[in-house]
Amino acid sequence: MSEQKRFQPSNRVLVVGGGMGGIRAALDLAETGRDVVLVDKGFAIGGLMTQLDRTFPTNNCDLCTLSPHLSASGRKLHIQLMAMTKLCGLDGEAGHFKATLTTAPRYIDLMKCTGCGECFRKFPESVRFIPGLDHRAPTCMRYPQGTPFAYSIIKDERTDFAGLAGVCPAGAILPDDAEKVQEIEIGSIILAPGAEVFNPQILDSYRYSRHPNVVTSLEYERILSASGPTKGDLVRPSDGKRPRKIAWIQCVGSRGIQEGSVPYCSSACCMFALKEAIVTRERFYEDVETTLFYMDMRTSGKDYELYLQRAINDYGIRLVRARPHSVESVMEAGTPAGDLLIRYLAQGEDSLKTENFDMVVLATGFRVSPEAKDLAAKIGVDLNEHGFARAGSFDPVATSRPGIYVCGMFESPKDIPDTMVQASAAAAAAAKDLTPLRVVAQAREELPPEREVAGEVPRIGVFVCDCGLNIGGVVNVEEIAASAASLPQVVVAETIGHGCSRESLEHIQATIWSKRLNRVVVGACSPRTHEGLFQEAVRRAGLNKYLVEIANLRDQDTWVHRDLPSAAAAKAKDLMRMAVASVRLARPLADQTLPMNKDVLVVGGGIAGMTASLRLADLGYKVHLVERLKELGGVAKQMRRTLEGEDVRAFVDDLIKRTEGHDRIKVWKQAMVVDHSGMAGMFRTGLQVGPQMFYREIRHGITILATGALPHRPDEYYWGRHRAVRTQLELEAFLEDHSEDVQVWDKVVMIQCVGSRVPENPNCSRVCCQAAVKNALKILEINPKAQIVVLYRDMRTPGFEEDYYRQAREKGVIFAAYNPEARPVVEPEGGKVAVRFTDPILGRELTVSADCLALSTGMIADEESTEDLGMIFHLPRTPDGYFLEDHIKLRPIDLPIPGFFVAGTAHAPKTIRETIAQAQAAAGRAQTFLARDSINLGAAVARVYGELCAACLICVRSCPFGVPFINEEGYSEIDPSKCHGCGVCASECPAKAIQLRQYEDDHIMAKIDGLMEGIR
Amino acid sequence: MENFEPVILAFCCHYCAYTAADMAGSMRLRYPPNVKIIRVPCSGKVDAIHIMKSLEKGADGVYVAGCLEGDCHFKNGNGRATHRVEYLKKLLDEIGIGGERVEMFAMSAGMGERFAQTATDFTEKIRQLGPNPVKAAPQNQRAAG
Repeated sequence: MSEQKRFQPSNRVLVVGGGMGGIRAALDLAETGRDVVLVDKGFAIGGLMTQLDRTFPTNNCDLCTLSPHLSASGRKLHIQLMAMTKLCGLDGEAGHFKATLTTAPRYIDLMKCTGCGECFRKFPESVRFIPGLDHRAPTCMRYPQGTPFAYSIIKDERTDFAGLAGVCPAGAILPDDAEKVQEIEIGSIILAPGAEVFNPQILDSYRYSRHPNVVTSLEYERILSASGPTKGDLVRPSDGKRPRKIAWIQCVGSRGIQEGSVPYCSSACCMFALKEAIVTRERFYEDVETTLFYMDMRTSGKDYELYLQRAINDYGIRLVRARPHSVESVMEAGTPAGDLLIRYLAQGEDSLKTENFDMVVLATGFRVSPEAKDLAAKIGVDLNEHGFARAGSFDPVATSRPGIYVCGMFESPKDIPDTMVQASAAAAAAAKDLTPLRVVAQAREELPPEREVAGEVPRIGVFVCDCGLNIGGVVNVEEIAASAASLPQVVVAETIGHGCSRESLEHIQATIWSKRLNRVVVGACSPRTHEGLFQEAVRRAGLNKYLVEIANLRDQDTWVHRDLPSAAAAKAKDLMRMAVASVRLARPLADQTLPMNKDVLVVGGGIAGMTASLRLADLGYKVHLVERLKELGGVAKQMRRTLEGEDVRAFVDDLIKRTEGHDRIKVWKQAMVVDHSGMAGMFRTGLQVGPQMFYREIRHGITILATGALPHRPDEYYWGRHRAVRTQLELEAFLEDHSEDVQVWDKVVMIQCVGSRVPENPNCSRVCCQAAVKNALKILEINPKAQIVVLYRDMRTPGFEEDYYRQAREKGVIFAAYNPEARPVVEPEGGKVAVRFTDPILGRELTVSADCLALSTGMIADEESTEDLGMIFHLPRTPDGYFLEDHIKLRPIDLPIPGFFVAGTAHAPKTIRETIAQAQAAAGRAQTFLARDSINLGAAVARVYGELCAACLICVRSCPFGVPFINEEGYSEIDPSKCHGCGVCASECPAKAIQLRQYEDDHIMAKIDGLMEGIR
Repeated sequence: MENFEPVILAFCCHYCAYTAADMAGSMRLRYPPNVKIIRVPCSGKVDAIHIMKSLEKGADGVYVAGCLEGDCHFKNGNGRATHRVEYLKKLLDEIGIGGERVEMFAMSAGMGERFAQTATDFTEKIRQLGPNPVKAAPQNQRAAG
């Protein structure tokens, strides 16, 4: 087979685990022209995420965000996908591994199975698995858009194989299928086996195994999910009634109090519980009360604090700081009724309360599966004391065995954006163990020739996506399709379920062929995110990709008008009419391409900038690193040690040495970016360099922004005015340099959230809780008799940081929560300061005379530089001044303008470890661009109709980029390879001699007409 | 006039306002369904003729939404759009339709809330103004025009 020839044995990467992390890593590698073998033990890829209803903080439907990735990985020519396959053995070393893979029998021929579901309908008695809330069937599709799109069968004695085989119309059932073992050669490995969810059966007091209305959060997701057992209807398991009062209990099985629990924090549960409560309130509003019982709300990710505030203020979610001891059944006439009783002691109250709930959701955390631990043992990868893959503080995706990398949950518990970052970082790391790519014969998908449609009467196909409940839950999609069916030249109009699923895309293609469609309209989500997918689909059906139009029924209709369903339906019909009117005039267009400049510009010379520069320079790219100060190093130069005790100074010094000594890195110090033009693959950026501010222009293909954040210095609590008052960063240095002074300290107070989580700076600074714990432990190391009080709002030590928080408590550090309405008060008291606060347990006001007051002031965006750079590069920022990424969940490193990436604290506050992961990931994402030889400029370029042109020069004067000129024939000419596609010339041209392709005047007019036709 | 539901067209630039509108969606904000968006690459692409034709065909209000000042992806397209809208306002005042029926707004891609607020405020303003006087013209006259 020709396909086999393409795969160069030692030049490919094995990715173990097909969850979000594994898919991202495989896609990144494939995009850089690397070959990947992606194995998953399950029947289809997708991992844990496929079972979720929606994800925070966008509250989007997961299948919609995920399925484009799934179908992308099913089809990518560089990715060989092997489901039901495990890695069983490994020999060799980085660059030259031999891996043994074992594939379990599926009893179905993947080449023949069409996923029609006939076997499932005839033999429904035993579906294999949808966690906790399902029946059994001989075949298994975990979710409706599986990849590979094929069923699988559980073979046991009871199975009537002859009958089953007879049912399959495709003859795809293989009764004699057997396990297959094969050995493959690979260069490096990425482990992304994910985690499993804690099973709370062992916690008897929560009655999980005895009461049907106590469910885990994953089961609750399944209840909310449109593809779940109740088809998205919120009913409780015991009696099918709609619950009116639901309680979430946090930290079940995590932060180790109960038997069978683990000591670490599972990191993602606070956010997913909030999301479940928000989604519940959003869908049922006043009808359902939602209460969260929590220990600390750990919403420290980017903008997560705002999500928490919205949950409380906009959705009325009740938060109770309490750890309920048990859940009891409410008895009625001696038998258990459906309701549940929770007894709890809320912080700040002195008596036990009892409260009834209709349903209880246990926010269960994550565990490494025994299989993943086995795998680690087999291939010689060290685990930490919690069973996770051990990775370094300064190399967060490298395992103990060279050539093997890790990403996602198997490294530590984390949420999806952090998993995506690590996946891209792991992909970049895995690529460096392969032989360098020289000339890559770009594997190309064979596409049918484009059909000539110019002379044809439009035959329009209309497809309406329900997007789970996102669109279908607000408007009747059948009705929308029926209304579009009556429009002129519409040949077919139908609904297609999840439009972006592989199944639906194939259906659209089949319909294009069978009905000889020459135009397509899809009513779905935003063209910003999904236009490319539908363009590819129509292209595969022999149509030019510009013959499809997307009507944004979700983001700009059902999501914003869900309280007015009939108006939303009317608007959906309007939007469809506008799209049909416009697509009628669509013409086939050709994309413009230009050669790619492969040099890199990195702005910011801190840890993030240097890490990204070194990664790319090591791969052979020329890097320009721009630092505005005289020296490299950034804020990290002020730090001494990480929480884990590693030496930050030595690390940064080494990084600086390697960066400055690298022959492919040009460091520009005291340099400022002053101007910028061009587009991905052909950027030009102007710098002013050195004290004389000499102007230099750099030409580069991509840009990485790593400009960092600033240590916050709010004018509070006598900071800078009293010598006992320090920030945590200052304290850290003081502890190293003046340990003799620390030895005589009697009392130390730390105040958390100074200048963070306040109206002026609403987000959490992420690093201060661990910094406080780190410094407290260090003080006790120097002076074990010191009394330390940490005044906090929520202690946010996610993942294994929790270990250190626990250690600090065990060593006698007092942690006392304060209420933001009653903040601690500080008064100078000679050489000391008096700190007055209310102790939440005693319920009394206390005053401590502190020898040292440490303020956890956290980080603040470097507004001045992000504002300047945002302006120069035209990049959006969050309201608090961090760069805004393209997709909070799935593309946390890519900025919205192609060719721009962000790393480190310019994105959001983060730890050194997270910064390094993101910098490596930015290098990885950058490679996906740099591996290309040409840049696609799209088709939106201005075209001059010479016969109309009066050579009035208005276009020449109005073009922001100076592209048009008057040619020898005496009319305006616009070079399509230089045109940026803004359309200013087209709208200024008095003779209307210029049209911007894709946005021609007649298209816009048709949309206006289309809208008004239905309204008049 | 009680049941008057204005028809409003919003020309939104792809890089800022259209993205902000999507952002309003992900944030599940609410704004009146009267607003229908047409996506353009840059607010500078919105031709005076597009706005005038929209009003002629019966839209009660039209607005152009682009990037914040100085933030235009194409340098100054939003500035051109602002001037064009200013010019049209005067023209519309002169011909008796009223310049307040068209407006220019600026927002960044991250400003979902501003998008929703702008859509709400503008719809309310047009609701107060009442239907586009073009619609009051007799049918035959409009057909002739």
